[in-house]
Amino acid sequence: MATSIVIMGVGGQGVLTLARWIGEAALAEGYDVRIAEIHGMSQRGGSVEVHVRFGREVYAPIVEEAGADLVIALEAVEALRGFRYLKPGGVLVINKRVIQPPGRWYELGEVVDAIRKSWPKTYIVPCYEAALGLGSALYENSVMLGFVSQLLGLPMPPSLDERNQAAFRKGMQLFQEAAAADQ
Amino acid sequence: MRLLLLGNEAIAYGALSGGVAAATAYPGTPSTEILETLEEFKDRFVHWATNEKTAFELAYGAALAGARALTAMKHVGLNVAADPLHSAAYTGVEGGFLIVTADDPWMHSSQNEQDTRWYGLQSYVPVLEPSNPAEACKMAKAAFELSERLKHPVMLRSVTRVSHVRAPVELEPPAPPKWGRFTRDVKRFNLVPANARERRKELVEKWEKMRDVAGEYVSVEGSGDVAVVASGVAYNYVKEALRRLRISATVVKLGMPIPVPRKVAELAKSVIVVEEGDPVVEFQLRAMGVATKGKLDGYFPKYGELDIGKVAAGLAKALDLPYDPPQPPKPPVEPAPRPPALCPGCPHMGTFYILRLATAGLNPLWSGDIGCYSLGINMGQQDLITHMGSSVGLGAGISITGRHFVVATVGDSTFYHAVLPQLIDVATRQVPILIVVMDNAYTAMTGGQPSPSRAVPVEKITEALGLPTFVIDPVDIKRSVETVKKAVEVVKAGKPAVVVSRRPCTLIATRKARRAGLQLPKYRVDPDRCTGCGLCYNLLRCSAISKRPDKKAYVDPSLCVGCGMCAEVCPFGAFVPEGRRDRWLELWQQA
Repeated sequence: MATSIVIMGVGGQGVLTLARWIGEAALAEGYDVRIAEIHGMSQRGGSVEVHVRFGREVYAPIVEEAGADLVIALEAVEALRGFRYLKPGGVLVINKRVIQPPGRWYELGEVVDAIRKSWPKTYIVPCYEAALGLGSALYENSVMLGFVSQLLGLPMPPSLDERNQAAFRKGMQLFQEAAAADQ
Repeated sequence: MRLLLLGNEAIAYGALSGGVAAATAYPGTPSTEILETLEEFKDRFVHWATNEKTAFELAYGAALAGARALTAMKHVGLNVAADPLHSAAYTGVEGGFLIVTADDPWMHSSQNEQDTRWYGLQSYVPVLEPSNPAEACKMAKAAFELSERLKHPVMLRSVTRVSHVRAPVELEPPAPPKWGRFTRDVKRFNLVPANARERRKELVEKWEKMRDVAGEYVSVEGSGDVAVVASGVAYNYVKEALRRLRISATVVKLGMPIPVPRKVAELAKSVIVVEEGDPVVEFQLRAMGVATKGKLDGYFPKYGELDIGKVAAGLAKALDLPYDPPQPPKPPVEPAPRPPALCPGCPHMGTFYILRLATAGLNPLWSGDIGCYSLGINMGQQDLITHMGSSVGLGAGISITGRHFVVATVGDSTFYHAVLPQLIDVATRQVPILIVVMDNAYTAMTGGQPSPSRAVPVEKITEALGLPTFVIDPVDIKRSVETVKKAVEVVKAGKPAVVVSRRPCTLIATRKARRAGLQLPKYRVDPDRCTGCGLCYNLLRCSAISKRPDKKAYVDPSLCVGCGMCAEVCPFGAFVPEGRRDRWLELWQQA
């Protein structure tokens, strides 16, 4: 059986990179991997989604609706857009951040509360805040990577540089805190 | 070496290990990374061509002269190259000639869902169809030998979910480029009617032999009374859908669906056919007398991309089995659409704003084209976009009806690709149209491939044709409006005019500025001065600017690149710069 992941975000947030890191980590563990990327027109400022599947034997490169074990959203409005991919019992992990879409204003707290109520298996992770603490919003995807690696049982991918490794460890720590709070 | 490679990278490495000597392409999603990967290899001829036809011709000519050659393009690019494609089948080739096309089902970045496998049938060129990157790599390598064995061009049809899928690929080292030389054979290479008739007879015979060759690319897996024929990427969904439905079936995988090998018709009298795109395999099987259940009768959807669920549903329907998949959950709050937008500081944003002001009151018809500036649709300034070159081609056609003030907007790469011939029609007939070339010096939408705009500046061409030409800088909004007004007057007087709006792609410029250690200026909103008039977020539409609940503007500092266009358009001086802009604007112009 393959693990199916959908990663949602806004162009420029490093969605593709996050997907590649997860893929590399899975490959290093000896799994087969498929990452379905979307390039081109939607690259900047638009919604971006990337599908990652890994397992002993994987064929299909994309995840269907109601087919994802895990939906990762690097932004809260994109988490709403990713809902349709969640399979019954699937897990949703959201970076605690809103990037305002054109023409509408979302309050972060309201969106997050609504999501928590309607999908109990949700983790809200302050990746953005943690990344700023590490010096740049650019690290929010590596903080997220550290968090979801614990959920997926995957190691740190081999290609992370030093600063991204620090962000990865921060993400791991956030997971341990979230897990402790769950108990 | 086993690496996670993009399908397009895998195709490039396959071609390298197959000894490709000449590789050409025009960029287009989802095909671009093939040539981008090959560009690193300086021991061969690798070239971004002006369009797909010139790319095709360079590679075809090299293959006629015995070299191993590859040309790559997106599906619609093959339309541009269709003329030489058909001749290539008549003359055949001496060196291996691989034509790679990448189709885009569900149009992630395209204007249509065309299935290029039809071209294989129409032009008598066999088509390989890989199911994943690893297979694409092997097929690309072997295609050169196959092409040389058949003395015939070979096509490889990829799709978004092969080209843009990253998967483990076993890499082989590049082989040295294989060059050759041209041997004169007038009866073969000069397609005057007397010769072409002979070639036609040969071609038809050759095609029947290719059916046997296609048989070499058939693999049969599993067993069971149910037979499923799958081609290309569809095979993956079939494998997982059968497992989900717990059906044992005989899966007949086609690696070369054009032409469908006779062998398949001999395997089963009745089959289920699963393929991405049009029912191209199914049509051929029916013509061979095989009973099929596929897209023709609606077992599988006739548009969009397949996935495991759609294939499982189709298989269940064809086999009369129950299938009840879970329904997708609904989000608690509707997400507002987040369509792709021009990047913050994009020169096109300034150009559209300038054009709007300079044509105020004329209710212009905005004739658009393919490129980043297609996103002018967000500003209501792209009334039509149909194909490469539609801006001037269709715009001129609309203009001759005499009822519209037509503004044709086209990027520099598209200008050279598809607008030059139209320009001559416009000049010779003096069609009143305002042609705006948005020259950002790159083919930006596909990631910034080089464009000919610096080697052959647009104004040199348009001035040579006698077209009044005005050059503006799109970030210099106020002054540019006055210049464009002069061009508008020319068109109002019944003549064509050209505006060249020149400033390099911001994305590339910001990258270079950061590398040079330049701190970009940032703009912020002074809330006491902002009146909430909305000029910046409604008309300029910079994607770094959003509208707060109190209607006042807000600049996201992580997105602002300090272009200053907001300060140019704001009548209230509400945008306050932090840092200086002059040095940055200068560096940007050179990017």
